[in-house]
Amino acid sequence: MSGFQLWPDNPTRRQFFAGPGLRMGALALGMMAHKNAKANPDPSHLVNPALPGLPHHKPTAKALIYLHMNGAPSQIDLWDYKPKLQEYFNKDIPPSIRGAQRLSTMTSGQARFPVAPSKFTFQRAGKCGTWINTDLMPHTSRVVDEIALIKTVNTNAINHDPACTFVMTGSEVPGKASIGSWLAYGLGSLSNNLPGFVVLTPRFPADSNGQALFTRMWSSGFLPTAYNGVALRGSGDPVLYLKNPEGVSTADRRAMLDTLGSLNRMNSDRLHDPEIQSRIGQYEMAYRMQSSVPELTDLSNEPKHILDLYGPNVTSPGSYAHSAIMARRLVERGVRAVQLLHRGWDQHGGLPRELGNQCKDTDQANAGLIMDLKQRGMLDETLVVWGGEFGRTVYCQGGLERDNYGRDHHPRNYCMWMAGGGIKGGITHGETDDFSYNILKDPVPVNDLNATILHCLGIDHERFSFRFQGLDQRLTGVEPQKVVKELLA
Amino acid sequence: MVRWLLSLGLLFAVVPQGSPADVALSPSFNRDIRPILAEQCLSCHGPGKANGGLRLDLEVAATKGGKSGSPAVIPGKPDQSELIRRITSSDPSEMMPPPKSKKVLKDQEKATLKAWITRGATYEGHWAFEPIRKTVGIGIKKGDPESLIDRHIKKRLLFSGQAMQPEASREILIRRVSFTLTGLPPTLLEVEQFQKDNAPGAYERMVDRYFSSPRHGEEMARHWLDVARYADTHGLHLDNERQMWAYRDWVVRAFNFNMPFDQFTVNQIAGDLLPNPTLDQRIATGFSRCNVTTGEGGSIDAEWIFRNAVERTSTVFTTWLGLTGGCAQCHDHKFDPITAKDFYSFYAFFHSAADPAMDGNALLTAPTVKLETEEIKKRRAALQKDLDGVHQELVAMGGKVTYLDPSSQTGQTRQKVTEDIWFDDAFPTGRVFASPGHPTEYVDATKGRVFSGSKALKRKDVGLAQDVIEDMPPKSIGAGAKLFAHVYIEPTDKPKTLMLQYFKGGWLHRAVWGDYDAIPWGKPGTTEKVKVGPLPELGKWVRLEIEAEKLGLKAGDLVTGFALTQQGGTVFWDKTGVLANTDPATDTGQSLIAWWKSQKGKDIAGVSGPLAGWIKGGPDTKRAEKEKAQVQSYFVSEIWKNAPPEVINLRSKRLSLQAALTKTEADLPGSFVFADLPQPRQSSVMMRGQYDKPGDKVEPNTPRFLPKLTGLDSRRANRLDLAKWLVSAEQPLVPRVVVNRFWQQVFGTGLVKSSGDFGTQGDLPSHPELLDELAGEFRAGGWNVRGLLKTMLLSSAFKQSSGAPESVWTLDPENRLLSRGPRIRLDAEQIRDNALFVGGLINLEMGGKGTMPYQPPNIWEPVGFAGSNTQNYKQSKGEDLYRRSIYVFLKRTAPAPFMSNFDAPNRETPCTKRERSNTPLQALQLMNDIQHIEAARGLATQLLTTGKDPMAQIRLGFRTVLARNPSDPEEQALLAFLLREEARYKTEPAAAGQLVRVGESAPPKAMDEPKLAALTLMVNLLLNLDETVNRN
Repeated sequence: MSGFQLWPDNPTRRQFFAGPGLRMGALALGMMAHKNAKANPDPSHLVNPALPGLPHHKPTAKALIYLHMNGAPSQIDLWDYKPKLQEYFNKDIPPSIRGAQRLSTMTSGQARFPVAPSKFTFQRAGKCGTWINTDLMPHTSRVVDEIALIKTVNTNAINHDPACTFVMTGSEVPGKASIGSWLAYGLGSLSNNLPGFVVLTPRFPADSNGQALFTRMWSSGFLPTAYNGVALRGSGDPVLYLKNPEGVSTADRRAMLDTLGSLNRMNSDRLHDPEIQSRIGQYEMAYRMQSSVPELTDLSNEPKHILDLYGPNVTSPGSYAHSAIMARRLVERGVRAVQLLHRGWDQHGGLPRELGNQCKDTDQANAGLIMDLKQRGMLDETLVVWGGEFGRTVYCQGGLERDNYGRDHHPRNYCMWMAGGGIKGGITHGETDDFSYNILKDPVPVNDLNATILHCLGIDHERFSFRFQGLDQRLTGVEPQKVVKELLA
Repeated sequence: MVRWLLSLGLLFAVVPQGSPADVALSPSFNRDIRPILAEQCLSCHGPGKANGGLRLDLEVAATKGGKSGSPAVIPGKPDQSELIRRITSSDPSEMMPPPKSKKVLKDQEKATLKAWITRGATYEGHWAFEPIRKTVGIGIKKGDPESLIDRHIKKRLLFSGQAMQPEASREILIRRVSFTLTGLPPTLLEVEQFQKDNAPGAYERMVDRYFSSPRHGEEMARHWLDVARYADTHGLHLDNERQMWAYRDWVVRAFNFNMPFDQFTVNQIAGDLLPNPTLDQRIATGFSRCNVTTGEGGSIDAEWIFRNAVERTSTVFTTWLGLTGGCAQCHDHKFDPITAKDFYSFYAFFHSAADPAMDGNALLTAPTVKLETEEIKKRRAALQKDLDGVHQELVAMGGKVTYLDPSSQTGQTRQKVTEDIWFDDAFPTGRVFASPGHPTEYVDATKGRVFSGSKALKRKDVGLAQDVIEDMPPKSIGAGAKLFAHVYIEPTDKPKTLMLQYFKGGWLHRAVWGDYDAIPWGKPGTTEKVKVGPLPELGKWVRLEIEAEKLGLKAGDLVTGFALTQQGGTVFWDKTGVLANTDPATDTGQSLIAWWKSQKGKDIAGVSGPLAGWIKGGPDTKRAEKEKAQVQSYFVSEIWKNAPPEVINLRSKRLSLQAALTKTEADLPGSFVFADLPQPRQSSVMMRGQYDKPGDKVEPNTPRFLPKLTGLDSRRANRLDLAKWLVSAEQPLVPRVVVNRFWQQVFGTGLVKSSGDFGTQGDLPSHPELLDELAGEFRAGGWNVRGLLKTMLLSSAFKQSSGAPESVWTLDPENRLLSRGPRIRLDAEQIRDNALFVGGLINLEMGGKGTMPYQPPNIWEPVGFAGSNTQNYKQSKGEDLYRRSIYVFLKRTAPAPFMSNFDAPNRETPCTKRERSNTPLQALQLMNDIQHIEAARGLATQLLTTGKDPMAQIRLGFRTVLARNPSDPEEQALLAFLLREEARYKTEPAAAGQLVRVGESAPPKAMDEPKLAALTLMVNLLLNLDETVNRN
């Protein structure tokens, strides 16, 4: 059993992977390294193949890039154009609209609920004519023909922590598996040298209101921990403990691993525990990652016209633009799910200025990502999702001026968009009332959205489950959910 | 016959009751039928739903049938049973399960159901809910020395044609025992001692030595704390620090004293309800306070009171009953007999918790206990005595000083400009707090800027932050009063906004400097939010001043609170108060009569007895002169602001003593404890698990399908009743669940593999009779944990070699039959502790606040909430770097990578069983983490000091790490590597110098650095061996 470096071509490996040890070592499987970092589409070479029976149907997307705008971007100021609101400036929202909804206690004590119309310019963009805030999203407005805008996403949660947990894991209660973990678990990885699920947490504008992130948003929950999202870091080693200690060279490490391998094999011959072979493999993968990850993060071969798509910050590690191009590079190399979590979207006050900063940080990179994926033919097989955890209220929180206001949490409707990977571009789905306060048509609960994401990746969400705590756990929960067919191309 | 059993895939699931033939002939309801029904049928024909009026989980219902009229099950007559007809039908409108359910019955399952009906369709209760039974007739004679465990294990192995492996070597055994009981490897001395002990009972003596080590309690506690979800932060939103390490230390102590498990249970569930509870018993109730909590603004109280109670209920369900109560939160459990009413009756035990809905982001959220030592008690008593003395002096002084009320004077102009100081070095008495979650920080001139007196307040934040006082003695606003505060803005970190806020019946008076909108409080354009001007000049002390009238505060108004508020930045705040043209005759600080009037009808804190009544009565009530004199005396000593210096001095002396006393109190560490509200809340079944949809009212009670709660008469049941019920002689679940978790700890997998689920959806026990015997004995023998563990450790099953021929691994891949000794990867803490231990770095100090060892940068920071006090990781220094992992600070939203990388849970929810993953990230960590490199250098240094012979160094290093000697090929391979590295570092001494300087502990002086570097890398290799990271 020597020569494990050659595993990807070694038939005994597959028998080995069928053994009990490998269920545990699955992350490792997703990370087995080739010298060549590009994804190898030949399924017989995959060290972490899909579960038997998956995908359930022909997928329209191979990979997911999920752009999570953490804190709840204001749908009224970005996508949900409500021209009639101008007449309502500083007038109380009609009780018939507000109804008896529960409010966050940050505003439930307010004496008034004065309407704050958006101060921004909206225009129709693209061939499709989707309304969009062109002041803050000039770049995104050029790719709306690729985008399916959903105006009626809704959630039960009213505070950030439970809402984020819900949007990412299908449950407000911590402990469930995140969407990326589900995909890595079910579909395996097309990469033999990178994890199936990678997370990026870029910087955000320093004076924006940043909520906390939680590792549970990319945690495997009850699934084996091997499917945890692996955080690529913006500073220091991109993967934890990647670098050898000072004074240890690659040659030292190679020599150490050779000896380590030979001792481990002696132990394996004595005990016959298959987990020992698995560990030998993990060490070889670790060694290869020490070169494949730096290759991944090295942008020196990206041409200038590509870098320019993402905007001026693209070469600064840890920036949103850098994370966006990294998302493309990860997917290109076969990573199944990439999640960008960008913070600072929680504008209870001073919304116009802060929202402007948030968009400035992300707008060009979002559009750049879509254009880049498209020009290299990857958009057809990559699903891009953009959105937060809930929306914001039409009424003002705190002081109200024409060009300065704040908004509280609004779970009843908010906007998300999807693009690529089997999504019908240039459409707007769902309608809200004139106050962006209630849904008039085609509500899309978060779990329906997640069911749709799974659908694009070839998974029937009802049949995709994992037994835990006596229940067949699903990303989409135990209640019936449905795929939003109208969004599909 | 055996083949029949095999074909059902039951080989690893069951132990036969009698002979193999019996088993094969009669499918048992619990073993064979219930799993099929639960998986395929009960979600529509069970406790939750009874589609078509049919339930299959109850014998009566199944034999009666549903609406169709034909009995689903006719015992002995499968062909007439509707169930069989439906499952074999191919008509989509009739077949079961229906096509749209996407469930499919396998042919084998159909055959099993049929066989069961043929043989009489006997129903049984779920095994785990049945009483614990003693097995009769295991087939081995009385007096046989073979242990109970081995009898059952061997019998089961024999049944599948296998046998145990021979006993492992002593070197393997001592390391196995040492890790099992203490989480650390044996020392060389311990190995030698054990190997030389040739007297009978050597193994048992060795086991006992590890039982008596204080490290034993730490290892045991570690497992319990996973279930108890103990951590050092709140877990949600800000995820601020929470102080309850005393609970963690109590668990360690409890295991070190081998506290009987029933006591251990009662103390944690209801220690506070025991007669005269000790401090320890109250600390133990922290179990039910370990849940994650929030302090997120905007959250709804009722929702969190509900959620906390649900969480605590589910945790007790999981921990002691091994049941997943979570489902019944929304509806009757679909598979287990737990109804929503059962769940909420249980919930009622925890629903009246005295802790608030929000944690306030505080270090200590009441109810808490203070951990007062004798020494601190003495110091506080001394301070109190001084304080009483000064107070007495002041009272005496009040009667002596001459006082003339200015309101009784006439003639000359009485107006006078005076400054009334509300804050300078200290706040007045009242409720002082800071938000969001940072403690109030006082600095002296050495640590910051001070305007007057000896201290100022410092506040640094990126978001909204403030120091607040409420309920201070009323401060009167004089005519033309100007409110003021002094600020110094750090020029490099300026805030967006400064704000002064005042409380008069409400927080409705605010003055704003700088960005008017940055703080969203108050209605703009009103006195609730008055724009004063731009931010004041930076880098110097500036006086903020605003006319009280502009804020809607008129002469004669009484202010009882104020707040110094900022949006971001670093700001020092000092000397705050009001400047007024006061009329001495109406100023409550100068005129006795004016003050007395202001106190009419009010109680004053700290004043009791007749004096309190006289003051409360006001000056207009008729009073004897002597009584008036006492009121005046009080006014002079406590209130009069122009009092002579001797009074003022005594007052300030008293204030500083009070402050010292408060500080000793505040500095005392505390711990979260559980307590009930004085008046219990009314609990109800919450419809669909929604906090705002109460249904039928419920009282505290235990689930109806389990033994009854007794001994109540007509009293309302409390947590103590619940705790005693858990450990009662009739309780079927608790002993099984607890014994099973200890088994899992020792053998790697529980007898019931789903150690957190003993319900009908959980795994069946691999050795049900053994589990029952152990559980029964555990309870009957006084819940003796150490006794139970010892039984396991002394068994041959435990002592077997963990290596076995490949055929054994194929037949029993998960080792459920114990066809070989347990071989399991070490847990995260054991891996780190092992490295520190063999590297000679470990610091075995016990208990106290969590420490912060090496951690790569940017673990906390990228996820941390701006303004959280755990936003930035502050690495410990010196010896604290090397404490055992159980004492490492655990931040729930960003656990240390050395923990999470090796499957340690983040303790957000109870974890009854850890994963054991095997990933390249682990390889990278063990190879490159500074903790492991420094430990390797530690051992390498020892090797270098012991001798020069490389082979001797290799042997010593190997033995230190693995407790055994290397084989020839092993030492040859290591020697080749060592020589290679020595040669390499000799030619590149600079690289050697870098490697031996990793870590904070100083490298040894005057060492041969190339040699040390080579040895360091060799030990690094040893620490990465598969054998090293496993308990073999």
